[in-house]
Amino acid sequence: MLTHYKRTPTQKVARGFSYLFMALCVCVALFPIIWVVLSSFKTNSEIFSNGLSLPSHFSFDGYVQALEIAPILKFFANSLIIATITTILNVFCLAMAGYVFAKKRFRFKNTIYAILSLSMVIPTTALMSPVYNIITKLGLYDTKFALILVYTALNMPISLMVLRSAFASIPTELEEAAYIDGAGFFRTFIQVMMPCAKGGLASAAVLTFLESWNEFTFALLLTSSTDNRTLPLSLSYFTSQFSFNYTAMFAAITIAVLPSIIVFAIFQEQVNASLTAGSVKG
Amino acid sequence: MKQKNGGWIALFLAPACILFILIFAIPLVMVFVTSLFDYRLLPRTFTFVGFSNFIQLFTEDNRFWPIFGNTVKWLFIHCIFHVTLGTLLAFILYKKPRGWKFVRVTYMIPNIISQSAIAMIFLNLYNAQYGAVNSFLKLIGLESLQHNWLFETATAFPSVTLTWFLFAGYTTTLVLAQLLSTDESLIEAAEIDGATSFQIDRLVMFPVVKKMIGTTVIMAATYMLQLFSMLYITTGGGPGTDTTNLPLYLYTTVKANNYGYANTIGVVIILLGFVTMTLIRKIFGMNKED
Repeated sequence: MLTHYKRTPTQKVARGFSYLFMALCVCVALFPIIWVVLSSFKTNSEIFSNGLSLPSHFSFDGYVQALEIAPILKFFANSLIIATITTILNVFCLAMAGYVFAKKRFRFKNTIYAILSLSMVIPTTALMSPVYNIITKLGLYDTKFALILVYTALNMPISLMVLRSAFASIPTELEEAAYIDGAGFFRTFIQVMMPCAKGGLASAAVLTFLESWNEFTFALLLTSSTDNRTLPLSLSYFTSQFSFNYTAMFAAITIAVLPSIIVFAIFQEQVNASLTAGSVKG
Repeated sequence: MKQKNGGWIALFLAPACILFILIFAIPLVMVFVTSLFDYRLLPRTFTFVGFSNFIQLFTEDNRFWPIFGNTVKWLFIHCIFHVTLGTLLAFILYKKPRGWKFVRVTYMIPNIISQSAIAMIFLNLYNAQYGAVNSFLKLIGLESLQHNWLFETATAFPSVTLTWFLFAGYTTTLVLAQLLSTDESLIEAAEIDGATSFQIDRLVMFPVVKKMIGTTVIMAATYMLQLFSMLYITTGGGPGTDTTNLPLYLYTTVKANNYGYANTIGVVIILLGFVTMTLIRKIFGMNKED
């Protein structure tokens, strides 16, 4: 639609440059992953004799060994549990807060919102030490709940922003109609407002899930046992175990990476929409 | 009505406020307060020492300034060149050349998978014996250029920088979304006036996305101030402190049981963040609410 230019030589060069640049970006993004996946099918000696050769035959031995050496499925389950509960908790808590900030009038509203927004400008790595101390003091060190608690809070700023603007865009008449029909505060919120804010809820959920699925720093800081460690940690955790079995290590990386890529490929429109929603006014 | 809802409003705000107090407010106060203490566990020490942690950090600790320098260098590189890379691709893609959707999706993939996986992948790509980089150099007969990329002083910093620098999918996605949502009549009007596509990009479209670029610069800065796993997994901050940044230094200090000093580094990170964000907002004219 936009591209009905008359093409001069300069524009032809520009077009050539565009396609070259696009091709480079695709290579940069895909090459490392493809290299890892291909290497996971090679034997150890093939990996060592030529790092760029193709596998001579496809065998899934590496995957079998990877699952034997490392409790990857356990880590996978931990990540799934932690990310899921975090997402539900985060979205529900901040939907409540977002709704109240968007639709209600009360004293100190702007002050409270401004204070909560502070969380957006604090680099969370700076809080490593006190968060570690608090979690230890609460007796939560090396528990899944510690990570759930911390992740729910870490994703607060973006969720609050997304959800407040989602509720703000719902016409107030809808809410008033619900009250006139005799619905109370809580029922109005659950049965009328939440369904109307579906888009915002989905965006907040996607962002929170991705963040907590991939988080590394606090997982490393706050957990120590296989029972509670998450998938991102498992990889570095097992470098030592995998020494001399590179096929299995490449297989382990593939196992860790592939689900995210598949999920993204399926839901990419939703993910893109969420990212965009999360950045508005950020 | 307003009175009757007071309880509900408080109840609805409570979870968010409790989370904020527990994970942001109390830690924030603790960071600033304990930066003035000699604070260790085992043996338990908690002694007020005034600004001596800061004095030690700024004047006696010969690791600090190189580490601070790395952090600032990475901030600059990321905020300027990484964002430029992503923006450039967005400006190419919004004209919808063939395959633009495919490029948008694939370029985003490295941003969706976990940082630790990317770090592990690059740890292997750069491996001295079987890594793809050295294998490629061998293939084209340039074995003299082979390095142990992540672990030699000469190559560690640029090599590790590339592990996050090239992946600007986030920036591309956001800027592209803004470009695509722009009213096409704006472009058509410029075309009728005889503007070339380069002029349209520069004079019409760039001002439209300037604020969004500002947002992505802020995200880039935030990312750099939180950068940890990529370093922890690949170089471990070495050789020496060549690839250590402030968060990694803070982490090693926490692990060394020196909480007061760790929080002194935390204060530096917070202040650096504050200065950086203020600067970015000023440059991109994002100070006024609109």
